[in-house]
Amino acid sequence: MKNQFVGKISVGEVLSYVFLTIVLVFCILPLIFMLTAAFMDAKQIMSMPYTWIPSSKYFTTSTRTFFTNFQKAIVGNHGDNIFFRNLFNSLIVATVCAMTTVFLASLCGFGLAKYKFKGQKAVFMAIMSTMMIPFEAIMIPLYLVATKMKIINTIPGLIIPFLVSAFGVFQMRQYLITFPTEYLDAARVDGMGEFGIYSRIVLPNSTPVIATLAILSFRNQWDNLLWPLLCSQAEKMKTIPLYISKFAEEKQTDEGALMACALLASIPMFILFFSMSKYFLGGAAVYDSRKG
Amino acid sequence: MKKLLVALCALALMVLPLFAQGGSETAVDDSKPITIEFWTHEDAARQALEEKYIAEYTAQHPNVTINVTRQSAEKLRELIQTAFAAGQGPTFFNLPIENEYQYIEAGRVAPADYKTLGFDNAKDLISSYADGMIDAVVYDGDVYGLPLETTNWSIFLNKKVFRDAGLDPETDYPKTWEEMVEVSKKIVVRDGDIITRRGFDFRYSYELTYFVPMVEQLGGSLDAEKGCVNEEAWVKALQFMKEWGPSGNNLGNPTLTAARKLFNKDNNDIAMANTGLYQEARILSDNPDFYNSGEWMVVPYPVFEDAVNDVAGCYYGHFYMVNADASKEEQKVAWDIIKYFLLTEGHAEEYLTNVGLIQPTNALMNSETYKNMPYSDVFSGDFARSHIVYYKKGATAIQSAINTAIKSVMLQGVEPKDAYKTLQTAVMEILED
Amino acid sequence: MKKTKKYSIERRQARWGFAFTIPCLVFFAIFAFYPIISAFITSLTNRKAISRNFSFVGLENYIYIFTKGNGGYSLLNSLRATLEFTIGTFIPMVVVSLFVAVLLSQLRKPGHSKFYELCFYTPAVLSSVVAATIWMILFQPTGLVNQMSNFLMMTSGRDYQWLTSNTMLQISTMIVYFWKYIGYFTILFITGLASIPSTLYEAALVDGSSRWHSFWHITLPLLKPTVVLVSIMAMLQCLKTFSTQYMFVQGGTARAPIDVITMNIYFTGVNNGYLGRASAMSIVLFLIMLVFTALQFKFQSGDDVDY
Repeated sequence: MKNQFVGKISVGEVLSYVFLTIVLVFCILPLIFMLTAAFMDAKQIMSMPYTWIPSSKYFTTSTRTFFTNFQKAIVGNHGDNIFFRNLFNSLIVATVCAMTTVFLASLCGFGLAKYKFKGQKAVFMAIMSTMMIPFEAIMIPLYLVATKMKIINTIPGLIIPFLVSAFGVFQMRQYLITFPTEYLDAARVDGMGEFGIYSRIVLPNSTPVIATLAILSFRNQWDNLLWPLLCSQAEKMKTIPLYISKFAEEKQTDEGALMACALLASIPMFILFFSMSKYFLGGAAVYDSRKG
Repeated sequence: MKKLLVALCALALMVLPLFAQGGSETAVDDSKPITIEFWTHEDAARQALEEKYIAEYTAQHPNVTINVTRQSAEKLRELIQTAFAAGQGPTFFNLPIENEYQYIEAGRVAPADYKTLGFDNAKDLISSYADGMIDAVVYDGDVYGLPLETTNWSIFLNKKVFRDAGLDPETDYPKTWEEMVEVSKKIVVRDGDIITRRGFDFRYSYELTYFVPMVEQLGGSLDAEKGCVNEEAWVKALQFMKEWGPSGNNLGNPTLTAARKLFNKDNNDIAMANTGLYQEARILSDNPDFYNSGEWMVVPYPVFEDAVNDVAGCYYGHFYMVNADASKEEQKVAWDIIKYFLLTEGHAEEYLTNVGLIQPTNALMNSETYKNMPYSDVFSGDFARSHIVYYKKGATAIQSAINTAIKSVMLQGVEPKDAYKTLQTAVMEILED
Repeated sequence: MKKTKKYSIERRQARWGFAFTIPCLVFFAIFAFYPIISAFITSLTNRKAISRNFSFVGLENYIYIFTKGNGGYSLLNSLRATLEFTIGTFIPMVVVSLFVAVLLSQLRKPGHSKFYELCFYTPAVLSSVVAATIWMILFQPTGLVNQMSNFLMMTSGRDYQWLTSNTMLQISTMIVYFWKYIGYFTILFITGLASIPSTLYEAALVDGSSRWHSFWHITLPLLKPTVVLVSIMAMLQCLKTFSTQYMFVQGGTARAPIDVITMNIYFTGVNNGYLGRASAMSIVLFLIMLVFTALQFKFQSGDDVDY
């Protein structure tokens, strides 16, 4: 199949490229807009037609430079540079949640995939059913739980309700079902304990799915808006999505500063994405093994 | 990070027992450590001022720790409500009265500690404020809050934009809503249908403040029992909004950038905005050149040509209130802080000059400082012909129902008559609930 | 080996298996089951956020949400908005991402297809808040989308009312969602395609089948389980949509046309403080999702294909 058409470019192929490129433009253009608008004066962003290259001729004040938007975004509403603290919080919360999700979900997934015990199906279904609970539905009861645990307005408060996700358990179970049982039995014969099998055999041999799951839960927490909205009250306990939505409401914020803020807030995710793209793009690899 | 967590846990442990304790001492006890949670809305100028006060207060009372939480106005309302639902409200907070009154009704906030505030009793406190200004927080003879601000909105006007459109701001400014349409038609600049400069635009989502008075000018009203009274007036006011929007004269709409946000920039994209005296402080901080150029002015709230009532935009208030669930000791300290914020000699003037907030004490209203604020006479004039915003039952939900009605006539092509019917049904449902 | 001994080893292992699931079970008990049970109990009361007292009212809230207007934002309208959003988003999303995935898998230069995949996926990396912020500016009458609409429709100065007219507003929210997740679903299909052994294609090509023919008669049937699974996942995600609509409404658009159930729950409960009523809506949403999930599992277990 590979060599049949070498040297010839079929009409179909040209059409494929055309179509794919149209979709590509649709996907990328808003990002380029964000990138360019971040350097512009609001006047230029709103002028028609949109000029893609930031220009100083639109500057409305003499002190303005191409980086004024970024300065505004970082300095924040009150000049207290809380941006970095909020960024740090987001990173901590997302990282810790990614780690705990991987640990707990793989442990549980392993238990569900490779053991047979009474009520196994019920446990699995119970965990799956939590996937169906919309967060908005349990937000207020959850807030009550968090107040009782005295974790409101703390970093643990942002982390604890998201230690593991049902989807993570599901992913790990589906992956581990295809894990060769012979390896486990061999280890048992060698006298390895069950937890040892998990930590020394299963975990090290599941890196792709673990990386994928870690990235997914990192992204989910990076994106989380509603819970931090309720849970973090002090400025220094806030996360980046909160920072942006608050920044967006401040009266002197204009479109340019907003785009600069959005861009800055996206940089960590972009770095993660471009450096680990194979795990992002392999994100669905898990479904290979759904036959089980 | 770990250290931080340990420190946080330790702090939590230290603070916890305090919440459990109740106190019955009469004077503020300066020896025991006490933590006060203070939640308020974002306002850069006020933050600077209050942070100074907090630093001064905690220097005098080293045992007191004040944790401040600042949120955008909308988020604050939701957050306080959720926290109260969980029995975890802040020690003291402020909200607009239309959202705050329900806390008094539900018994969630404590009556003022008159002694701590330095008054003999409720009457003494009430009489130190201008007539009727704190009536909204008087319930069963007790006062439940102290005003951080009472604010009414007039019309800010950019003279340059007026002249650019060939108008004379001093004489051509709109006195009636009909003139508002005519003037805006002259000022508006469009590229095809796309608006690139507006004459005026409303402050959508605060319908109780700007829209209900328009209805009242036409003889209608919003009533806590009967809902939207006088169909004809409501329909007419909705008709006006419809004609303002894209399906009518296309002069503005709720999805465009908020008018008052653009106003400060002086970018020749908006001529008039509907906002309060505090806007002056914001213009000064956002755009000092514009502030000092004198190219802006404030004109009174318009009325309809065939108005039957001369009503200006409603005034609303933000009141500092104290959580009834806080311990007696915390309540006392909270009132003491509120006293320090609001009642200390010279502070009211600082709130006015630095932040543009009016605390309606007799002393301030008659002071030179107030009279010297630019255009304070215009605000006073509008104040005199305005009344407090609807704050009784279901105010929050009713406001969003009116907002829906306005958006439905402006954006969704609903006929004002039908929009009124839907609105009235919704409002009655809210009131009967 | 004696039967009894084997039995006891199995039992010992079974205990370990169960033990491994305990941390997750405890977690979900506290942070999922307790809250949803609590929401169910609240749904039977007339509880409000501010008032201290409340009483049990039976099914009154459920009757209310299905028969009354909820201050202008009825549950029926929300069901409509959610359904329209779900259908309007997931069908184009599944069709386009499947098509794109097939095209990508046919590209003869793997470098090209990796590049496209990378670009398609990039929007998914942005947070919803950022995505909605960007699009709110793009959808302004003076914004890029309206400029392009004018260019494509060969009009000038027309306001296509991306944020104002009912239908356009709904389409706008769909576009944002579509934009954000198209890459994600494309990747899901690419993985599904990759798992179809290429020997099957080769056999087909030797048979002289055209590519189109081989797609229609070989690839698609083999891909059916993936299509079903991805469709249901997409549908569930659409049912849960919140941030885009919420950010749009915060930006000043009308709420009614895009008042999806989650947003109605949020406004009813958190904004207006009717906790009992909001909880009843939550339970309704929960049940809807449960039905879809049951379907998902049914398809999954029934549709496995052996190659």
